[in-house]
This record gives sequence, structure tokens and C-alpha cells, in this order.
Amino acid sequence: MINLKIDGKDVQILSGATILDAAERVGVKIPTLCYLKKVSPTGACRICAVEVEGADKTMTACNTRAVDGMVVTTQSEKLAVIRRQIVELLLVNHPLDCPVCDAGGECELQDICYSQNVVRQPFEADDVNAATIDHWPLIQQVPNRCIMCEKCVKTCHETIGSSALFVNEKGDKAFVDKDLNKCEFCGNCVQVCPTGTMISKPFKFKARPWELRKTPSVCTLCSAQCQVDMHSKQGKVMRVTAEDGTTVNDGNLCVGGFFGHDYLNSDQRLTAPLVAQQETSWETALDKVVTELSSLRDDKGGQAIAGLASPHLTNEENYLFQKLFRVALGSNNIDSEARFSSLRAAKVLHKQLKLSGASNHIDRIGQAEAVLVFGADLRSESQALNWQVQLAARKNDTRLIVANQRQTKLVKQAESFLQYRAGSEAYLAGALAKLLVEKGQADNDFLNSFVTNRAELEAYLNGLDLNAACAATGVNREQLEEAADHLGQAASVAIIFGRDVMGSTQAEASVAALVNLALVSGALQGDCGGLFPIAAKGNTQGLIEVGTAPEFLPGLIDYAAGKEKFAALWQTTLPEGGADATGILDGIEKGTIRALFLAGTNPLVNFPENSRWRKALAKLDILVVQDILASELTEMATVVLPGAATAEKRGSMTSLDRRVNKLRIAVAPPGEARPDLAILSDLFARLTGKSEPSESAIQQEMAGLSTPKQGYAPAEKSLFAATPELTTPEAADLQLLVGKCPFQFGTTTTYSAANHELAPAGLIIINPEDAAKLGVADGGQLKVTGPAGSASGKVMIHAMVPVGLLTAADNFADMNIQQIFPSGSNCVTVTATKA
Amino acid sequence: MAEVVFSSWGGKVIDNRQGGEPEAAAFKLPGNYLDEGNVSAFMGWDGVIVLDKDVDIVTMAAEYMKRVQEKYCCAKCTPGKRGTRVMMDTLARILAGHGEESDLDTLTGLSDLLDNCKCTLCMTAARPILDTVKYFRDDYMAFLRGERKSKQAKSYRDKLTAPCMDRCPAHIDIPAYIEEIKDYRHDEALGTIRNRMPIPAVCGRVCPHPCETACRRALIDEPVSIMVLKRVASDHELLHVQEPPHKAKEPTGKKIIVVGAGPAGLTCAYYLALQGHKVKIIDMLSEPGGTVAVGIPDYRMPRPLLQREADIISALGVEIEYGVKLGRDVSLRELKEQYDAVFLGTGAFKSKPMGVEGEDEGYAGFSEGGINYLRAVALGEDIVTPKRVIVVGGGNTAIDCVRVALREGCEDSILVYRRTRKEMPAESYEVDDAEEENVQFEFLRNPTRLIVEDNTVVGVEVIKMELGEPDDSVRRRPVEVAGSEYIIPCDMVIPAIGQDPDLSYLEDGDYGIKQTRWSSIVTKGGTMMTDDEGVFAGGDCEYGAMTVVLAVGHGHRAARTMHRYLTEGKAYLDEEDAMEDIVNNLGVFDKTENIGIVGGLHREHQPKIDGAERASNYDEIELAMPESQAVREAERCLRCYRVAMLAVN
Repeated sequence: MINLKIDGKDVQILSGATILDAAERVGVKIPTLCYLKKVSPTGACRICAVEVEGADKTMTACNTRAVDGMVVTTQSEKLAVIRRQIVELLLVNHPLDCPVCDAGGECELQDICYSQNVVRQPFEADDVNAATIDHWPLIQQVPNRCIMCEKCVKTCHETIGSSALFVNEKGDKAFVDKDLNKCEFCGNCVQVCPTGTMISKPFKFKARPWELRKTPSVCTLCSAQCQVDMHSKQGKVMRVTAEDGTTVNDGNLCVGGFFGHDYLNSDQRLTAPLVAQQETSWETALDKVVTELSSLRDDKGGQAIAGLASPHLTNEENYLFQKLFRVALGSNNIDSEARFSSLRAAKVLHKQLKLSGASNHIDRIGQAEAVLVFGADLRSESQALNWQVQLAARKNDTRLIVANQRQTKLVKQAESFLQYRAGSEAYLAGALAKLLVEKGQADNDFLNSFVTNRAELEAYLNGLDLNAACAATGVNREQLEEAADHLGQAASVAIIFGRDVMGSTQAEASVAALVNLALVSGALQGDCGGLFPIAAKGNTQGLIEVGTAPEFLPGLIDYAAGKEKFAALWQTTLPEGGADATGILDGIEKGTIRALFLAGTNPLVNFPENSRWRKALAKLDILVVQDILASELTEMATVVLPGAATAEKRGSMTSLDRRVNKLRIAVAPPGEARPDLAILSDLFARLTGKSEPSESAIQQEMAGLSTPKQGYAPAEKSLFAATPELTTPEAADLQLLVGKCPFQFGTTTTYSAANHELAPAGLIIINPEDAAKLGVADGGQLKVTGPAGSASGKVMIHAMVPVGLLTAADNFADMNIQQIFPSGSNCVTVTATKA
Repeated sequence: MAEVVFSSWGGKVIDNRQGGEPEAAAFKLPGNYLDEGNVSAFMGWDGVIVLDKDVDIVTMAAEYMKRVQEKYCCAKCTPGKRGTRVMMDTLARILAGHGEESDLDTLTGLSDLLDNCKCTLCMTAARPILDTVKYFRDDYMAFLRGERKSKQAKSYRDKLTAPCMDRCPAHIDIPAYIEEIKDYRHDEALGTIRNRMPIPAVCGRVCPHPCETACRRALIDEPVSIMVLKRVASDHELLHVQEPPHKAKEPTGKKIIVVGAGPAGLTCAYYLALQGHKVKIIDMLSEPGGTVAVGIPDYRMPRPLLQREADIISALGVEIEYGVKLGRDVSLRELKEQYDAVFLGTGAFKSKPMGVEGEDEGYAGFSEGGINYLRAVALGEDIVTPKRVIVVGGGNTAIDCVRVALREGCEDSILVYRRTRKEMPAESYEVDDAEEENVQFEFLRNPTRLIVEDNTVVGVEVIKMELGEPDDSVRRRPVEVAGSEYIIPCDMVIPAIGQDPDLSYLEDGDYGIKQTRWSSIVTKGGTMMTDDEGVFAGGDCEYGAMTVVLAVGHGHRAARTMHRYLTEGKAYLDEEDAMEDIVNNLGVFDKTENIGIVGGLHREHQPKIDGAERASNYDEIELAMPESQAVREAERCLRCYRVAMLAVN
């Protein structure tokens, strides 16, 4: 601790703090302009100049470290003159377009002029009059309005890790320029810009800040669930922002959060119920659903009806959906797309660790001493986790290990890059665990206290042949050892894994091996680090936890074991059996399942082997589709029920790190569309003859059931290590790995103009060598054929994928890459031809 | 040296405009700029110097401010970016005859405001302007009254510098790379370093860092750890398994031979290769690095890192052939015939004699020299280090020898030096390191005689010394205390009192290459070219045994002039080179300066392995500084940029 005096007040503060930090501590307000807490201080504007005893010159409070015994004066005639003159200089040739400037009303330059009493302009210089930069997608740059605070440049580099922005030119002609190839279009530069220099093109001229109604809510486009403010005007969401300091995302947003909300205003929104593709009343539509489903239930039994829930729905909606099926329709044929990835991981985590999602909060990743990012492309899958990794690797001396089949963007920041072959994940994680034990770097205290079968784990690892692991993974021994050293030497470890792992044929074995590694490395112990599976979509975590799978009741209670208890609670008998997504598909094909209720999910794009689904759906007696956007699927539906987007309804959602977030209503659903809970409640009442369950009644019911959400604290000797089977992948000439497009979120944002501008169609990414072999050029067409079918798409040639691997995103209905995949796989052997 | 008409340099005003006795100026400024003309005036951070009374000082001030604003101002602070812009336009208005007297107040007022700048570039640039307004007001008034037309000098020559950057013999843009580290842009920092130095892993470890002796931060607390920050940038690339992004230009078809793969040769080869020239290096050793490889022990400079630096240079297409010695395996004449240009970077590895009786008798236990001992150990030659070793000398080589002897199994490693610890030329931290490792020191002792039994050294007779008056090197001269001789028993004696270049390869013909009386090669006017056209030289063979960083500076300069020689047929200095030398000669660091801000922040140190633990092996002693700590250290930098400009007529 050091002691100093600021404006006569004594301050005690930790060594390393700045004068500004110290002043804040005693409530002394020093004016700032370029200062932004989440990035390193720039000291550009000089407005926070203060007088320090013993110094002839002023010193800037934002970037001068406080020193013991310092005596600081923050207000004086001299300082007032300096600050005023500095602002006067800032205003030299500043355009007088405040009336039409996007920042008008929320401009920090206006504020500082006002607070520093800047009412005249004594300085004069020729106007550089730089041209507005308009050729960047989505973001416009008006250099004339720039005060060179570099907040955008620093945020882009330090927080986001894009490093796209830089200062170009010298002197008064200097301006913030961009390397477009590096830009993630996250809009954080627009958010941090204190003036109207960086502007969102979609928002420009749409509203004045004071006209906007601000609704705090969460972004539900991915499972990180960033806290946001939705700004609406005349019933439309105009922009989305986030607040620094008070949000879990510290004010950061990604391309989804900042630009992706435009689907809300899409002309493809469903605005009225449809029966036989004709607009109709809710009464007619619901009556149709009830009549058809109840007659089928009474006639063929509940097993003839199936339903698929959705990560787009709230916890309450998914809960009611499963209850509707089990109680009102007598069917346990209920599942979701989590079946193909996240649920598989959750089941392993649940079995070994009594855990269904992440073991710690996202913000504990940034504090870990080592971070392993395994089979995840954070750029696409979770920018929020990427920001944590940026913080860790850039500022906190964290060792970063990236294990991936392809050269993800994070690789250049990694101390170790383990480029493994598809199917060897369990071997790789196992080898790392073995090395930690061998090197004496395992967390023995944790293993002894918490793991029931430590001896079994050690025997298993003992039997793991490192040479075989190297051969299977394609990673050499030296790289393995180095990565193990980084993990072993760290006092806290975060392990992040993503869809490459959870969607693969060997998902269960791979996750089990990663759980073992988490146990051995101590990732589950202490305040920092943890184990972080990246749930696929917005509310995938909540979807799993409320029991939307035939084998689980709410709270991940085993269906068979908990059936009686729930039957009593729900005052009914619960159905036997139950088909999962694959079983439902089989059932439809066999004709045993005659009705399907799709609540916010589209098997035609998001599901593997969806050509089979397409054919199967056509065979149904009744297909009910509850959704928000018109699609190929709604065109096949018997009944279409227009639901509400997350900005248009209340409810809770569970993030990947198991925070339960509240949605708030920013705008009303369009036309006749209704909140999904209202639709499901209505159906529940109609089908059971009971009264409509209210939102609060559902929440109360759920509160009594759910597992504890906050803080993972396992009991002693309650955790299990597994002995997953180790497989050596077969050699393949060409494989295709399916992933996510960095600019798209599910298929939802393909309806947003901004996201469409960045990524209008799916791309097949191919290594230059393979492209040459196939004779295909960048931008050309390639047809790939996998075990379940063929798909075609535009080619992007890039060395980020190794020779022998193609990647493609599954966000695009046109390319529909999932149709080549059999269920339960995400990387398959393919043949490719120039199309 | 030219006569001073007016000077405000350093705050001391000399005004001979109305005549007066010329006085010897305290600064070193050349009378002419290359062969372009006379230097008529100079402007810079410390004021204005006028050598030609006819120079138009107002026009020069306007030009100076224009260059500061348009060419150098980084735009990263408000007063700098806009203040110098307003000053530039105000001066331009005055020149154009549209000025008003109040403009002079604006210039004065802004000069004060620029004291609040982020760095000293624009801040110090205001100083000469302020001085012209103060001392040349009549000239300004003449413009304001429309009585005078602007008169441009024949040319103006400028240079961006900083005290550290100027003092660094390789002239690395130190403030730039420190700022880049502060901004968490380590790869860019390394790029900045590599613009001037291709062996940052070496100079981040074993550079004597003269830059730090010119660090203004030292005037308020302690110098910035400039060298270690260089290592941080270099380690970052290595730890993140990244390759440098450099690419060589299109091949020029020119062939160059570089003799010696030491720092000078590697540097010269690197920058020539970047220009697209085909470079081959020959070296008598079996590995790269020259004296850095075999003269600096691995615990200070791990050789795998040196090898990596050489590999990076090789990756640009530079061929290195080992085991080839100039004068033995190939003659300079042959090289001259086969190549378009030759660079001699042959180092200085011939030990100086101690000048005591018996040293040339070839006794067992008498080492030829410290550098020979270190090389033999480094190359794993068959050499046995006995129990008691005496090393004579006070430089870095002597310290390396006593420490290596410990690691080679010696029990008593004794350093004998004729002055006291204070006068030792070795780096003080290395003397501390040696002490921590239990090296014994015998100060104020000078060997007089070897004690020999059966042709084997068994001891050294030394005489006690005391310090007398300062000698040429400003150190106090040691004087013998008559009759104080006594014998220190030992099994081995290693003289480590300096090295000379071995230029025997020049003896096989008349190359016209001049040598100094210290057997070093003479080159011309900063071009690094010898009197033999097309033959260049740099590093220790040119200067005498000096530092790695000087060799790098030579290699870089030589590559620039060689490139011009190869492409334009003439080895000459361009504006950057010439101004670099002029500014260097003038001096940029002023240790008496009042910085005007308060310090109180300690310099950050990298972690180090404990003394007892490390003395038994060759593992690197200094460990990598965590990057967060490096950023903290970088924040201490004051960014002491400044701009100099000459008017030439």
C-alpha cells in the first residue's frame, strides 16, 4: 500500500495504481476523454493533466502511477487553462455537423467542451478535411470527427484480439485505418468511440439517442449470453449496446450481439398462425393442433406423437414443452438438437462430475495461469470466451495451449499448438493427463480428496502408450511434453472445449478424457480456471437442464428413477419408453410416429442426415411448427404457430456457465405472434382441461426441481475418472469438418441484413494444395459427397485448414452441409469434385 | 569547425550577429554537410545554432515545424497533433506575409502548452521556435510588415532521434519498440528492433546496453530496462512458435562474400539479403556467432538461440560455410575476384600478452588467453581445468573465465586485477554474479612473474598496487607498491586483458587496406569501406575489441553503403546515415537536464537462478521476464524523441 494526497485528501491505495485510480477512491473527479478502463491507458488527450508537487510540468492522471508520498492537485487555474486550451485544439476544424452526427446527444467531446467551459476558438489551421471512409462493410469512419483517443484501436487489439485497426499517416492527417482482413465486425469500435467517428451503418440516421428506449436484457445468439441493452423506437429494436464495467461481458459485443438483431425486423417474420398454409386465427390454429393431437393420442397412444424442443426457447417454455408432452400428450418422445452434441457432453459430465455445463464462471478463465482450448474455434463459437482468453494470454501471462485440427485464429497467440487428427481427441487428452502424472505435476490433493477411483485412473493412464498416442494424434512427443509442462506448471487451469469434440463420433470418449485431464490438472479446483464446454446455442444449457430428452426429467434426473416422483408432482402417470431424435426419425419412417411438434427448431438445416428428415416430415399426419421465421420447414407444416423472439418476451435462459439470465421485453412480437410460453400454456390448458399455467406458477414449480445453479462445489470422493476407449483414426484422403460461420448464429442471423452482407452463403474452406489437386479456384464451386449425401458450395482457399481437411459452416440453408453427415458425426470422409 | 553567429543551444546564448569575438562552441557541429554545402544553421530540441548570418531563420523555423508535423508527429496526443499543426500553419501564414503580431503570441503560448505533450517530440520541437520568436523577433516583424520575402536554404536535412536511440550503436528506434511492448504488440516491437538489429535474442541478453546510460528516466529514478525489453520481444516470438515475417526483395544478381559469422557479419548479410543480394558467409569456426558463440558462456547466451538467429538469416537465402578461414583456406584476392563485394567481419580474438616474464615459454598450465580458454571450453576441446585457477584482468572476458572455470570443476577461481572493483570495465552485475558464485577477487594486484616447476605453472608472483592520479581513460592509474611482491599458488593462469584483431590475411598481397596502430582496419567516413574499393569492414576487426551492438551497427551501416555500391557504383552516406552521425557527434543526452516531472518508480528486473544453484551448470541464469512485468517496465519510458534539422547552403 502507498499513501498519497489528492486535493488535500489522504489516499491509501495498492502499489501500481494510477493517480486516476487513487482519485476515484476518494471521490475526486478528474476529467478524462481518452481513458477507457478496460484497455491500457493511452494518455492521448492530456485532459486529465494534474499538478504533482515537485514537478514543473503537469502529469497525466490516467497513466502515471501513484508513488508513495505524492501530493497531487487536480483543480487549479493553471490546469483549467491547459484543459481548456487542449479542448480548443481538439475543436480546430472539427466539423459542425453535430445536428446530424450519430453521436449527437451522447458525444463525449460535447460533454468535455461543456464541462471545461470551451466557448471560443482562438486557434486556426488549414482544414485537412479527410474524406469519409465508406467502403468498409457495416462500419463508416468519419476521420474529421476523430479525436485520436485510440479507444477503438486498443479495444480491437487488446480486448477483441483482432488488431484490425491502426493509426495511419502522421500529424494532423493521421486517421484510424483498418486491415479489413482482420476485422471481426464486432462493432466494439463503434461502441467505444466517444464521438461520431466510428459509425454503425445500419443504425445511422435511424434514431436520436434520446428517442430510444433502453431495455436491459441478454443476447441469446450464443450460449455465453452477454448482457446487453436493447434500444428500441416505435416498436423496433434499433441497436444493441452493452455497458462496460457492470456486465459479465464488460461492455463487449460480437458481430451477433451488435449487428445480428436485424432478423427481428425481417419481412420473413411469421405474423399470423397458418393452417394448411393459410392465415387463420389463433383459435382455429390451436383448435386444429389440439384436435389432431388429442385424437391421435386417444387413438394410437402418446407414442405416436413426438416433439423437439429448442435452444431458442426459454427455460420456462422448454419446461412446459416437455411437461405438455409427458403430461398432456402421454408421450416421452421428446428431444432436441442438443442430442447431436451438447447433450452428449452433458451426460458424460453429469456421470463423472455431477455437472451439466461449465464448472465455473466465464470470467474465471481470464484469471487462470494456463488455458487449454480443445477442439473449439472461439472466433466462431464463442467470442465471449475469446475475450477471456485474450485477457488471459495478453495481459495475465497465461500460457495458452490450442488443440485443434485446423489453424484457428488463436493459434498465433498460443505457446503450444497441438494439431491433431479427427478421432484422436481422447488419445490427445489422455496423453496430456498421463504426462502430468508422470512428471509429478498432477494435482494430487484434489485427486485424493475428490476422486473415488484414483487407482483405476492411474492404471488406465499407465497403460496409455505415448508412442501410440503420438501416432494416433499426429502430434509429436516434444509438442506433447511442452503442452503438458505448461499445464503442469500452472497453479490454475481452464479447459475449454467445443463443438469439434462434442459433435464427433467419439464425443463421449473425448469428453471423458477431457474430464480426466480436468481432474488431473486441477482445473476443477480453486477460484480460477475450470472446465468449460461451449454449449452450441443460446439456451442449449437450459434446454438440457429442464429435461427435454427421453432419458432425463427436469434437473437431469434419470427418467426411470424419477418417474414416480414426477408423476406424483404432476398428478398423473408418466409414459413409458420414449424415443430420442434418432428414434423419432426412425419412428416417423416406420409410421409409428404420426405427429411431430417442432418448437423453434428446424431439422432441415441444423440436423445431420437431413435429407432423411425431409422425406420423413412429408410422411407425417400432422406437423406443427412453432417458430419466428418463415422457412422451407414452415412451408411443410400443417399448422404454423408464430412465436416471439427473445427480445419480445419474458423468461429465463441459462448460459454455458450456468448463469440464469432474465429476458426482458424490448419490443412486442410482430402482428399476431405470441410469446411461446403463452402458446404452450394455452395448448396445455386445452389438452388437459386444466387452467392455463401462469408464468409464475411454472417458475415456482421449476424452482423446486432444478439443480443448484451457482457455484460448483462437489462433495469429497464424489467424482469419477473414466477409462475411455482409445482409438486410432483410420487414414483418410479427404475429410470434411462441419463448424460454424463466424458471422452467423444458427440460421437466425441469415435473416439479418448485416450478417448477410458479411456472409451471404456457406463456404467450403480448402487447403491450397488440395485446391490445386482438385483444380478448383478461390470462389469456384465444389461438390462434396459424404456418407449421408452430397452438398455444393463456394470455395475459399486458405491454409488454415491442413491438407486433407475441408471445413464448412452449417448456418446456411442453401448449402445445407449437414445433409452429408450421418447422425452423431461432425467430421466424415468425403469425396470432392469441382462443380 | 565553423564560427558561431548565434546559438541558444542548451540555454546558453551566444550572440555574434552584431560582430564580436568568436568563441569556442560547446557543441560539435560540422562546417559542411557531406559534399553538398556549408551548414548554415541547426535547429533542434535544445535551441538554435546559426553559423551563417545570411540564413533566413524564420523560413527555417517554418520548415522545421512543417517537417515535425507532417513527417514525424505521431498524432497520438492532442497538443502534439493539433498544436504543431497550428504552429505550422501560423508560421506559413507569417512567411506568406499574412501574419499578425498576435501570431507570435500564439506561437509562444502553444510552445508552453506543448509542455503537456505525451512525449518529447513535439514538446522539444517547440523549443527552437520559441527561441527564434524570442531572439529573432525583428526578422519576424520584417515578415509581418511585408518587408521580407522568404528565402529557402539550398536544402534542409532532418533526423528523428532520441538519447537512447542515438547512444545505441545500432540506432534502434528504442522508444518505438518500448511503446509497442507497452501496447501489447510484441511482434511489432520485434519488427522495429529487426529494422536495425537481426540478432535481438543476443542483444536482449548480452548487450552492454549503452542506451541505458543515456536514458532520461535515470534522471528522475532509474533507467528503463531497455535491453531486457528487447529480450521480451524476442522471447515472445520464440515462445509463440512464430516465424519472422521478413521476405527478401527480388534477386539483384549481385554476389557478396561476408567473412565471419559473428554479429557484424550476420548483420551485414541479413540486410544485404533483404535487399535481394546473394550473400555467402564463411567462418573459421564450426558454428555461427563468432566471439558471441565461443567467447560468451552459455549461461549468459544459450547457443541454441544464437543458432536460431543464424537460421532466420539463412532462411533469407544466406549461405554459411563453416571451417573456412580467410588467409588459410582462401585468400582475400580470390574472394575479391569471385564476388562483387567483400565484407570483413573477422573479429578480434588474438589475446594481448600480459607482459610478464615467462608467458611465452609454453609452460603447462599457462593459457594463451581468456578468449582462447573460453573457446576451448565452448567447443568441447580436450582441456582440463585444474583446482586452482588465476585469471588476470577486469573485463567481461576475465569475469566469464573465472565463472566458466568454476563450472569446469575448479575449486578456487581467483580474479587478479590491478585496480579496484570500481574501475573494472566488466558489467557490474556480472561482477556481482561472479561474487555470488564464490569467485575470489584479488584487487590492486598485478602479476610480475610466473612461478614454474618442471615446466608447469605452480603460482604467480604479484605486486600490490595503489591508485594514483587519473590516466587517459579517466580511471585512476594503478601504481606499484615497491617491495610488496608475494606469490599466489595456483595450477593455471589465464591472462584476460584484451584481444586484438588478427589481420594476417592481409599479408599475402598489397590490398591498400590501411591499419591503425592497434592492428585494426581503417574505413572511410562512416561508409565502412576500406581503401580497397569494394572491400568493407566492420565490428571488432575495424574498431578493436568492442561490443556486440557496435558490430551490429557496423554491419547494418555497411550493408546500406554496400547496397549503394552494388547498385549505384558508389559507397556513400545518405541523409539518414549522415544525419545519424552528425547528431551522434553533437550528442543527444544531457545528463544535467531538468526533466520536470517526478519519478519514484523502480526498474523491473527479470528473475534469476540462485547463485549456488547455477554455478554448477551452463543453464541460462536470467529467466524470461513475464510480459505483464515488461509492460509495467515499458510504461516507465518517457519517449524522448526529438527532431534535428540542418540548413545547408
